[in-house]
Amino acid sequence: MRVNAGNLKKGEFVFFQGEICQVQKADFYSPGKGAALMKARLKNLVSAKNVEYAYKSNEQIEVLDVTSVEMQYLYKDNENLYFMDERTFNQSSLSISVVGEITRFFKEGEKMFVYMYNDKPLTIRPPMSVKLKIVEAEDAAKGDTVSGAKKPVKVETGATVMVPIFVKVGETISINPETGEYTGRV
Amino acid sequence: MTINIKMKIVTQIKNLENYKIYLQVEKAVHGFMEKNNYLKVDLPVLSPALIPESYLEIFETEFNYFDKKEKLYLTPSPEIFLKRLLVAGVGNCYYLGRAYRNSEPNSDWHSSEFTMLEFYKLGINYLEMAEEVLKLLQEISNKVKNPSFAKATEGKQKLKFDRWEKYSVTEAFEKFAGIKKEELFNEKLFIKKAKNKGFNIDNTGYEDLFSQMLAAEVEPKLGVSGYPTLLYDLPKQMASLAKLNDDGLTAQRCEFYINGLEVGGFCTELNDYKEQQKRFILEAKKRKQNKMIDHTIDKGFVKALKYGLPFCTGAGIGFERLVMIFSNTKSIDELKLISIK
Repeated sequence: MRVNAGNLKKGEFVFFQGEICQVQKADFYSPGKGAALMKARLKNLVSAKNVEYAYKSNEQIEVLDVTSVEMQYLYKDNENLYFMDERTFNQSSLSISVVGEITRFFKEGEKMFVYMYNDKPLTIRPPMSVKLKIVEAEDAAKGDTVSGAKKPVKVETGATVMVPIFVKVGETISINPETGEYTGRV
Repeated sequence: MTINIKMKIVTQIKNLENYKIYLQVEKAVHGFMEKNNYLKVDLPVLSPALIPESYLEIFETEFNYFDKKEKLYLTPSPEIFLKRLLVAGVGNCYYLGRAYRNSEPNSDWHSSEFTMLEFYKLGINYLEMAEEVLKLLQEISNKVKNPSFAKATEGKQKLKFDRWEKYSVTEAFEKFAGIKKEELFNEKLFIKKAKNKGFNIDNTGYEDLFSQMLAAEVEPKLGVSGYPTLLYDLPKQMASLAKLNDDGLTAQRCEFYINGLEVGGFCTELNDYKEQQKRFILEAKKRKQNKMIDHTIDKGFVKALKYGLPFCTGAGIGFERLVMIFSNTKSIDELKLISIK
């Protein structure tokens, strides 16, 4: 779909210098002299490197029509994450560096959406929230009841999350995987 | 393709602490200006005529009284009035108030309704003005008390205002974009270089590519080393209202940056009404070509310049962007109690 670069949004996919990139950030910026711009941070989905670019806001660009397919997350090794399409049993892999930080909240066996373009997996569509069990946490120190006080806990995927001090080991919590923030108890 | 935007009125009481910093910065600015003998001027924001600018779209409205109707426009900057006053002999003066720019969506750094600080000092050039702006930043930094700021910036490099980090545009492009001086000022070579870097050069001239490369490759590196950065001597194409330097390539214009964001700019004012008139005609033509709002052109402005603008330097600062620095916020919206979005 062709759009004005001024309408580009975070999460969309574009070709940049011949390679598929995902928009990490897109901000309107008008220097007041010269054309209004769309300042964009693009993540190259092959090299996983970010590049800063400034489009003219009225420049026509092609936003790729991608589909998302539900898949089961199987496992990971040092470099890749492996998924299976449960309807076709086809396996796909994605590089951890491309998917980024959110992989630390992925639990084996969970279902996720994988963005596809021309049958090629691009990256993960981040879930709104993930539910994970706390496996390690210190007990709140006595008297430490200041409102808003937080402590670090370890969840079952090994990631560390800051939670309110009253949350205990064994509880399941929901987390926004993109920000890594605790959003509530389940 | 048309995208429908349904705007809403949003109450944002969560921004109360940030808004209080906004008030503190405002007070510090007024204090600085008073101490340094700048006259505060309140100005209209509705005007029957404007300076034509091909890169700024405006808001238009209409005055009605029985069968009398007249188009009025919200001013995109107070320059149109301040320069008249300078010609009339007001002396050093400043405006801190609203300005309006249409076709600019709310983004972290933009709001179609915003606050502008514009001030003029007689008898100084752009580099002397840089020292004045630095003093203003120091004054704000000393006056604004923000307890959450110290906490939020803990471990980070603290921003200091005791000096500028200075780069000429030539130095900055060489250092951050790998563009040599002879490529920067030769339009053909520059466009070729931009093409090699992957910029789309179709229907795009030197000015736009310069802005694009500045935004993508240079600006993110400015104002990030613990000091505000002064970027000076812009190519003459990018500063048509500024006095030219003796090299014939650059103009006496600077911009300053903090955390990769342009906060303000200033130039030694061009005191050549013929040049201004030429530029008016050109800009008005471009507005027509781009199908922008066909507003009345302020002929009185050229007349005033013909009478004679005194030697001076004018500075414009995006006030919300300035407050963002001292409130440690990342967007203009975080400063607003009521936001239209």
